[in-house]
Amino acid sequence: MPQNETIQGLGLDQYKYDFVDEEKHVFRTQPGLSEDVVRQISAQKGEPEWMLQARLKALEIYYSKPMPTWGGNLSDLERVLDEIYFYVRPQDQMEHSWDDVPESIKTTFERLGIPEAEQKILAGVGAQYESEMVYHSLKKEWEDQGVIFDSIEEGLKNHPELFRKYFGTVIPAADNKFAAMNSAVWSGGSFVYIPKGVELKTPLQAYFRINQEKMGQFERTLIIADEGSHAHYIEGCTAPVYSTESFHSGVIEIIVHRNARFRYTTIQNWSNNMYNLVTQRALVHENASMEWLDGNLGSKLTMKYPSCYLVGEGAHGEILSIAYAGDGQHQDTGGKVVHVAPRTTSSIVSKSISRGTGRASYRGLLKVHKGALHARSNVECDALLINDTSRTDTYPYIEIEEQGANVGHEATVSKVGDEQLFYLMSRGMSEAEAMALIVRGFIEPIAKELPMEYAVELNRLIELEMEGSVG
Amino acid sequence: MTNPATAVAAPEGVTSTLHRGLVQTLSAFDPVWLRERRHRAWEVYESTPMPTTRLEEWRYTDLRRKLDLAPLGWPKRAECADDFNACPEGLRNTMMEDDPASGHVWGIDGQIIHVDLEEELRDKGVILMSLKEATKTHPDLLEKHLATEALPPERGKFEALNAALWTDGILLFVPRGVRLELPVRVTRWISQAGVAFFSRTLIIAEPGSQVSFMDEILSQDLKAQTLVSRAVEVVAQDGAQVQYVALQRLGKGAFYQASQRTLAQRDSTLDTLNLSLGATTTRVDLNADLLGPGANSDMLGLYFGDGDQHFDHNTSQDHAAPNTSSDLLYKGALDGHSRSVFRGVIRVHPRAQKTDAYQTNRNLLLSPHARADSLPNLEIQADDVKCSHGATVGQLDAESRFYLMSRGLTREQAERLVVLGFLGEVLSRLPLGGVATKVTRVIEEKLRQS
Repeated sequence: MPQNETIQGLGLDQYKYDFVDEEKHVFRTQPGLSEDVVRQISAQKGEPEWMLQARLKALEIYYSKPMPTWGGNLSDLERVLDEIYFYVRPQDQMEHSWDDVPESIKTTFERLGIPEAEQKILAGVGAQYESEMVYHSLKKEWEDQGVIFDSIEEGLKNHPELFRKYFGTVIPAADNKFAAMNSAVWSGGSFVYIPKGVELKTPLQAYFRINQEKMGQFERTLIIADEGSHAHYIEGCTAPVYSTESFHSGVIEIIVHRNARFRYTTIQNWSNNMYNLVTQRALVHENASMEWLDGNLGSKLTMKYPSCYLVGEGAHGEILSIAYAGDGQHQDTGGKVVHVAPRTTSSIVSKSISRGTGRASYRGLLKVHKGALHARSNVECDALLINDTSRTDTYPYIEIEEQGANVGHEATVSKVGDEQLFYLMSRGMSEAEAMALIVRGFIEPIAKELPMEYAVELNRLIELEMEGSVG
Repeated sequence: MTNPATAVAAPEGVTSTLHRGLVQTLSAFDPVWLRERRHRAWEVYESTPMPTTRLEEWRYTDLRRKLDLAPLGWPKRAECADDFNACPEGLRNTMMEDDPASGHVWGIDGQIIHVDLEEELRDKGVILMSLKEATKTHPDLLEKHLATEALPPERGKFEALNAALWTDGILLFVPRGVRLELPVRVTRWISQAGVAFFSRTLIIAEPGSQVSFMDEILSQDLKAQTLVSRAVEVVAQDGAQVQYVALQRLGKGAFYQASQRTLAQRDSTLDTLNLSLGATTTRVDLNADLLGPGANSDMLGLYFGDGDQHFDHNTSQDHAAPNTSSDLLYKGALDGHSRSVFRGVIRVHPRAQKTDAYQTNRNLLLSPHARADSLPNLEIQADDVKCSHGATVGQLDAESRFYLMSRGLTREQAERLVVLGFLGEVLSRLPLGGVATKVTRVIEEKLRQS
């Protein structure tokens, strides 16, 4: 069928981050997870005793919790977890000057376009390679205003009081099995503090790269947006394609204080051998606003539901989610909003595309607690199916305990219409161009929320490879 | 020291009343195939764990708190003559409201005491009779369809229990091409408290036939928890048109458990309506299977709760064949401390192309203590489909109320009208004349009390 060929010609599944660097590390643990591994990680970081104890406690919790039976297929995961390296240290210390980063790692990030973006549009950049942040820098003007943008390890070392006050308060180790695992073996990630009233004009960015085969990456990010502050944080992730599975499990905790606004954007483009199980949650205080923009394009299986706990009166939470599931991929994504305080508002918009044997599932929770008077929320999910082997699911949970709430959920599922294709082709477009235009139109409401470079990137993913297939 | 190896826990749900001996007693006069079927169902019941909130489908209804099987007794055999005037007043009152029908069935405390059917329909081969009697006169039909294709015991704990312990029920068989102009009306009355009732309904509509079945169950308030368990199996064969309506008006104290499965074959229409107004706890499992190309199911539901009533409607729309359609609309209003759960899933199986499937659940919270949970799910494995679902939870529209009050209505009258207007969307789609009037009256009565 020409149509099927055309769709394959879209090149959505072609992965351009599939390059491997020579493997160099200064230390790594033996494969698998054990108490010994946890102790080694803590010792490598020279941590205070309380942190080691917290890690060991989390490990116990991890062992005590059963493997989830919902969501994606995790039946192979126990085996994978026995084979992967939980900690790989690529270099001795983190650098603040790009020139000091080892050549091979530098080349990697240069191929990913990181330093270029830093000069042009970013307030600060962090780069994680394997288990450690290899580079972190923040423009001086922001540093002078008291902004902290550092690796999580330096956060613990240099700001112990702030760190201990908030660490693990939004996502305790006992929250779920993988949060417990992360709490035991976390390494890398960012520590961010935006002082009262400071408005960052340009985004902070963290870039996560896995190079080593059979690698587990466990970044941990803690963000505190103080009263009236305003900032945007972006993370991107890629890895080479191996025949064995790798594993990524992050925990991201965000505290958005009174009147502050924070946006967290993820463009996840892991290779298709990656398990990506992430817990992200924000505590949103009085009249503050939190936005998650979550783009999941890569990985073998992603289970990720960014959430907002609206704990202060008038708090607002927003989740924009876009998922693309190509052949063999399962994107189990969505969002959670919990309304705890009165007059809180939220919105979830989810768009997914399933192609080939891909499966995109929306899973969401909308909860209005007793006392959250006059809560307002709206959820919209749209799914686009490209082939007859594609699959989509919608699993929203709506739990309302308060009378004055007004909440709604709507979902639609559709395929690319023959009529739409026919119309565009009658106007002179090739089938491939027409298909790409329709898909772009479908994701447009979310793509337009992305910073320019990412919107361009997203569109390019859909458009780029297709050009070759025309004619 | 005790030896843990010798301490074998009794299977869950086996009590001094509900046990293997009861199956033996009940099946003493059954034909062999039925006796064996009951015993096998009991085996499944014993080996199936009691559903807990860890199961997705029971997440919001905690049976450990909602249902205590241990004190339930077995109903006494009611001595009822087949005489309208001897029937309990509540039963007579509701029957007098009914419009004309093709046939009637009356049941009291799990026994069928009266069946009538128009002579002409009987001549055409329509069968309407108690299941007890049908085991003697139509064993082949029952052996083929009863607790086999639609609700075999393997489907769950309650399905197995009912298949083992049913005492009576109804068989309706409509032969090929026969169309019933008027509905069949069933009215059942429950009077005994603190006991467990199990009944079944089996409806077989042959190709090209047409029938409406109106199934009402009611009681006064019951002093002790009473389990009313029902299994409903409906088969619409090629081109048949079937409407099944369940009106539940049990009193406080009742735990109403209904398993309904509808099998719609090629080009058939199989519509259902669940009106859940009574009982302390209501759990309805409705599984609509669209098995043949061109099959269609409309599924309507309405619930209205007050006090500490708990409603849990768990539905599925399974599209297994191409060119099938289903449309579900469940609406509920909740007052007092009442609570509702709606969980519904649309499944479009691979190859079920050109499916149209819709699902809507809307809830109105009338009190600060009411609660509504809604879980509308989609699982789509074919690409050429039109599917959507929506769910809302909201409060009484203050503007509508204000408008009505400005026209001279009291606050209570205005609220009553707004609620009726909200539920009216379902009532206006009711397939049977007379039902809407009856349901409106019951809701108005309830609104006046609350």
